[in-house]
Amino acid sequence: MKTIIFISLLFLLTFCIMAVMSRSLLKSTISLGFASATLGIIMYILGATWAAVIEISVCSGLVTVIFISAISLSNMNKDDLRKKYNDKERTAYLPIVLIVTGVILVVVALATDFTLPGATSLLSEDFREVLWNSRQIDVIGQMIAILVGGIAVVVLFRDSKLK
Amino acid sequence: MEALDLKIVMLIIGFMMIVAGCFCIMRTYHMIKIIIGIEVAMKAVTMFIIMAGHMNGHMGLAQAYVVTAIVIEVVVAVVLAGITIGLYKKYGNMDIRNLTQLKG
Repeated sequence: MKTIIFISLLFLLTFCIMAVMSRSLLKSTISLGFASATLGIIMYILGATWAAVIEISVCSGLVTVIFISAISLSNMNKDDLRKKYNDKERTAYLPIVLIVTGVILVVVALATDFTLPGATSLLSEDFREVLWNSRQIDVIGQMIAILVGGIAVVVLFRDSKLK
Repeated sequence: MEALDLKIVMLIIGFMMIVAGCFCIMRTYHMIKIIIGIEVAMKAVTMFIIMAGHMNGHMGLAQAYVVTAIVIEVVVAVVLAGITIGLYKKYGNMDIRNLTQLKG
């Protein structure tokens, strides 16, 4: 299982870098969807099955569809995009920044003998019971957030009658 | 290599994802790319919460937090996508620098 998690972590980082660095917005969005799916696999292996299913269905599905619909509503030419935003040149230093960050973190972890507590046996608590019995305020907050999001979609995506 | 166990590798990769997201937010002017940067950083935070739940055994509580984070992430993405479309309709592009010209 550890091997699968290591491979998934590698894929996760790769897809995230592709999402950030890709010149095409469509490729960025699809890479982000793949990153969400990979994170869902990691979560499922670690035991967070409900969260993994929600991550895969919502973040990998719904968010990707929202981004693609937002991109499809704009019809900018690829050359215009490259000239106007110049993203490839502006994010060209990202691999160097990431390599430096990774090397610094590995050196710090090895030099300071940094350890994290080991995994304890999972308590037999059900996610649904925890959410409903202990975290009611979260449920209310989620409902308010979804309501606000729905109203925002109606307000922001409607066709303006004004010139 | 024994010092670098799975959790520390996850921590390092999570920090690298946060750096990548913040770099994207700081270096680009395209609104959708900025939302993608926020999403990338949020993925790392989600992974950290699950990792914490795996370490202390309270996976149910961690999943409750993750579901809340996912809902908020989606709402933020939807609202920002709506603002992006409004920006495109008004100015014909998705340049974040146009937001400085908003009034009222």
